[in-house]
Amino acid sequence: MKRGILIFSVLAFLAVGLFGGIPAARAAKPIILGVPTSLGFLEGKEGLKAVNLAVDEINKAGGVKVGGKMRPFKVIAIDARGAEPGVPVSEVIKAHKKLILEDHAKFIVFGSFRSEAAIACMDVVGKYKVPMLLGTAMSPVMQKKVMKNYKKYKYTFRVCLNAVYLIKYLAGTMAYLNKQFGFNKVFIMNQDVAWARKTGDLMVKLVFKKMGWQVVGRQAYPTGSSDFSSSLMKAKAKGAQVILPIFDMPQSGILVKQWKSMKIPAVMAGFISPLAGPSAWKVFDHKISGAINAIFEIGNIPCAKVPKSVEFFNKYKAKYGKPIEAGHAPAPGYDMVYLLKKAIEKANSLDGDKVVAALEKVEMDGAIGHIKFGKDHQVIYGTDPAKTAMGCMIQWRKDGTRQIVFPPSLAEGKIELPEGLKPAK
Amino acid sequence: MFAAILIYGFINSSILALVAMGFNLTFGISGVANFAYGAIYIFAGFLVWIFLNTLGVNYFLSIILAFISSYLLGYLMYRFIILRVRGLPLSEVMATFGLGLAIMELFRYLDFVGVKYSLPVFIDGSVSIGGHFIDYQRLLIGVVAVALTVIFYFFTHYTKMGLAFRAIAQDDETALTLGIDPDRIGAFSLALGSSLAALAAVIILPLGTISVENGYEVLINALAVCIVGGLGSTVGVIVASILVGYSQTLTANYIEPHWMILVSLAAIAVVLVVKPSGIFGKQKELEERV
Repeated sequence: MKRGILIFSVLAFLAVGLFGGIPAARAAKPIILGVPTSLGFLEGKEGLKAVNLAVDEINKAGGVKVGGKMRPFKVIAIDARGAEPGVPVSEVIKAHKKLILEDHAKFIVFGSFRSEAAIACMDVVGKYKVPMLLGTAMSPVMQKKVMKNYKKYKYTFRVCLNAVYLIKYLAGTMAYLNKQFGFNKVFIMNQDVAWARKTGDLMVKLVFKKMGWQVVGRQAYPTGSSDFSSSLMKAKAKGAQVILPIFDMPQSGILVKQWKSMKIPAVMAGFISPLAGPSAWKVFDHKISGAINAIFEIGNIPCAKVPKSVEFFNKYKAKYGKPIEAGHAPAPGYDMVYLLKKAIEKANSLDGDKVVAALEKVEMDGAIGHIKFGKDHQVIYGTDPAKTAMGCMIQWRKDGTRQIVFPPSLAEGKIELPEGLKPAK
Repeated sequence: MFAAILIYGFINSSILALVAMGFNLTFGISGVANFAYGAIYIFAGFLVWIFLNTLGVNYFLSIILAFISSYLLGYLMYRFIILRVRGLPLSEVMATFGLGLAIMELFRYLDFVGVKYSLPVFIDGSVSIGGHFIDYQRLLIGVVAVALTVIFYFFTHYTKMGLAFRAIAQDDETALTLGIDPDRIGAFSLALGSSLAALAAVIILPLGTISVENGYEVLINALAVCIVGGLGSTVGVIVASILVGYSQTLTANYIEPHWMILVSLAAIAVVLVVKPSGIFGKQKELEERV
């Protein structure tokens, strides 16, 4: 009897091992992509969804070909919370280390939300030779570090827009406002975080001074601020014709409402994250017509002249049941997974150094336009979607739609003054 | 410009007073810790949003339902959490703070992230006062803050229930000998304080959008006002709201908005060093002397 049970057990074990266990045993080991961003922020949340969308598509199509095998991607995300006020950079560094050392992430995708932490994490990925592609952090310090100490920092790349390119789009908009309406007085309001401070500094230095604008005031607000009346009062008292806001915190929505309720006679033209998505029209009680806002990367808004941006926007909506609301991050998040796939296949290896070398050479057309890294590991943004990646400026229209108004290569309409506001010339 | 500072300083002070009123009622007047106060504030905001946008309930009815839910949440919090650690102030603080964190993180987990969470204003439009436009919603905040202050002053000084609230803060056992059931009053105090957090939420949140971070901000502001004014003093709450509110507005206008957040924290530090019981905190001052 005992012998019978033993034989049956052995046979059963063999049967499970040979047949039942086949798919599991033979399934290729996934390539881990670590995502350590701030999932409590819209850009982080939607960015992760875009990464997952690309991963699902790639895995459905068979995965990534490396070493003669098709291997799937697997995403492990950590809410590193680096964008929240009071969360120290060390927490974000810990999240990166956990992903690399405990979860064995081969690549860091999207990276830290804030530049303050992303720059610190360049040392971490450099130490472990893990390529990292940034999707939200915008400070140009990252590029400086790559150029200064290439050997140590070559593992970091940025797919999203950076502060310098943002300035180019904003500068074009300001030039138009000046030429068309004679505006030349601006009040700057920025969030007190690295990318926004830098954008404000560079706008003063490289744009307004050179263009002969008068900066009638500038104020910085810590993340989490919820009253903007002091700046708006000053802007009005000093005769500002344009208010340049630079904010990515949810509370900046209050600024939009205050701008309307206080009837400040100035165009709002800059970046406020709550103004970027299609739901802003309803959120702000249909009172945002005339506001001009940056969309850091196309694809976050469908752009008819770049079919891949429309394709991505629609795929995202179909998968998650609602459209992209963030003006920054999801489209580069989606594209960076495909970039990585291309680079891994080109390198035919998961070795950090080899993939870095491949990433430097890779080129593709994605949701954000034509993607190619510069020597400083920043994707090149410009005004021709056939040659570069693209950002754009949109203006809210009276019917609640967003229309691209800059750059001219993508523009669907011209900038119009908000109701009640008169040109200066 | 000065007129504008006066107007917006008043509104800022009113917002602080509204936010602090419920916290002062429970922690200050009845001595029951409610460090989940900020979480209840956003709980009410999100609840109104859900009733209004997901379930299609009328706005006014949504607000009433949020009040009732917040009241029940406060009551249940007392019955199932506070009651077990009553009399251990540190445990009360930690238990309620933990619950608050759990509520806030639950909303984050449930994907309440983004800019679409916004409540409509009660009355649309704005009015010009001395050449400065101010919206009706902000004016309403000022009116409600003043009205609530008056009501609360009379409630805590001239009604049986209000006096019972103060009695249990002074001494549970003595209150019991006078026929006051400390647990019943404590539960009612927490429930009422929670519905006041809901009231503050539905009036203040239409100014912007609802986000989980609002909860932390509200708790810090409520703490700052109550510590500066003196825990348990309605007059103290008003004076502290005016002091902190105008200090913040003046700082934003004459120094930098960047330093605004430091005003509340600096006020807490200064008051704790100079007069730990707060400007009007008589009860605590007496306790300290004893």
